[in-house]
Amino acid sequence: MGILLLIIWLIQDLLYLIVFPGLIVAMVLVILLIYLERKIAAKVQMRFGPLYVSRKVGGALQSISDLLRFSFQEFILPVGSDSIAFLMAPGFMFAFAMMPLIFIPVGPYYSYLFPSTLTILFSVALITITPIYAIIVGWASDNKFSFIGSLREALLVISYEIPLLLSVIAMVIVYKTLNYIPAVAFQETHLPGIILNPIAALVFIIVAIRSTGRFPFDITEADSELVMGLYTEYSALFFGIGMATPYIELYALSLIFSLLFLGGWWPASGHATGLLAGLFMPGVMVIIKAFIVMIVLVFLRAVYPRYRVDQAIRSGWERIIYLGIIAVIISILEAIII
Amino acid sequence: MSDKGKRKLRGNIEGNARALATGFKYLVEPNRMTLDYPVESMKLAPNYRGFFTVDDKKCIGCSMCEMVCPPEAITMIPRVISTTGYTLPVQQGATQEAGAKPAKKTKRPVVNWGRCIYCYFCFDICPVDAFVSSNIHDLAFYNDADYRPSYEEYLKLPEDPVKKSKKVIPKPDIKRGIKYEPAP
Repeated sequence: MGILLLIIWLIQDLLYLIVFPGLIVAMVLVILLIYLERKIAAKVQMRFGPLYVSRKVGGALQSISDLLRFSFQEFILPVGSDSIAFLMAPGFMFAFAMMPLIFIPVGPYYSYLFPSTLTILFSVALITITPIYAIIVGWASDNKFSFIGSLREALLVISYEIPLLLSVIAMVIVYKTLNYIPAVAFQETHLPGIILNPIAALVFIIVAIRSTGRFPFDITEADSELVMGLYTEYSALFFGIGMATPYIELYALSLIFSLLFLGGWWPASGHATGLLAGLFMPGVMVIIKAFIVMIVLVFLRAVYPRYRVDQAIRSGWERIIYLGIIAVIISILEAIII
Repeated sequence: MSDKGKRKLRGNIEGNARALATGFKYLVEPNRMTLDYPVESMKLAPNYRGFFTVDDKKCIGCSMCEMVCPPEAITMIPRVISTTGYTLPVQQGATQEAGAKPAKKTKRPVVNWGRCIYCYFCFDICPVDAFVSSNIHDLAFYNDADYRPSYEEYLKLPEDPVKKSKKVIPKPDIKRGIKYEPAP
């Protein structure tokens, strides 16, 4: 009986990690998101965007054809590179970008690998690991553009991690828990987090844009200055993994945002038992919310120009961090009142 | 916060909001300037300088076009005039009309499309107006050798790749910058 339970637990965890909110759904969403990003930017900038691959559906298969192209390209290992780090770092980056999903629940009854009461803390902590591998990529490539890109990443990470933690801490103070499920339950009984503390939501959004390298903080991959930033020397599938990593990070951050600020699985709360209503409907609700957040964030590409490094760092240390402190103060006041 | 700081903050918020609103407006009602090229194509003026060929019967082989050609794209190749009035290659002409009177030797122009700059000086200088113009211009060749056609290949114009497309004409527009209207 114990072994059977263990097997069921393992299957559920594999489903969780590989199929539903994990790898497969994430990859489908990323492919869709890259297409939408290009199409939205094209529409705003008076262009057509991807069109000629599958013209009848408006070029929707463009991302898939790109993926196929990356898969069959020749991989080139630069002569001067530190080959082991060069080969390993993108994989680690991708893995660590996926890892917060272990701790992010997409439903009150849909279990995840390590049932814990500190899931918010763990997921946010895991998000801050990815930049280390970005720095390793820049070092291993033996390329000035990659190296400058990784240095910029290092500078920016330091200036933006504290506001991220502050905005999450602000919400933790309001919800009085470090676990996502009671946090969502709190929002169901009271108000969604974005109304309770809009400044924390704003800070979280800005930091999410920053840490995934969306515009206007597209500094580490500034194509006009640094060719392709960190991934200048990469080709083939490794480049594809490197390109998908920020989008996976964006996915994880959007899931966290929808759980902490948008009420999580709020309209589909999953009180009913059963596979569909109990397990998947809340998850679908969370992912729809997260996808809307992702679309809004990639829409910014069409509107904003790029910040300079010093401007971005100054805004991080001089404005965003104060906004984070203000958010914490608001939360403390609210916690006293509620 | 000082008065100046307040004004700056308000300006920041206002500016960001306006930028986002403008972007959203264009997202909802797209204002495309791009020509959807193979489906639509521009209606070109009748005197547009595109690919051209030569009227084999009219040409007198005077070599003026070769002389005037700025990028030296035109080469005169030797031909012989057959009984029909059209020219034949030198070898073929010699064997065919062996018994009859000697074939009249002449020259005909061939254009290297890789060199041609479409200046149409050859049209201007030709004393008998032997060149035939067209407004086919959007054509690329797959092989390097295709840029240098033989005389027989040069005589027929390339096929228009956008023959079936919808013809449009560009119109300046105050709101959109440029607008494409269907050609009459």
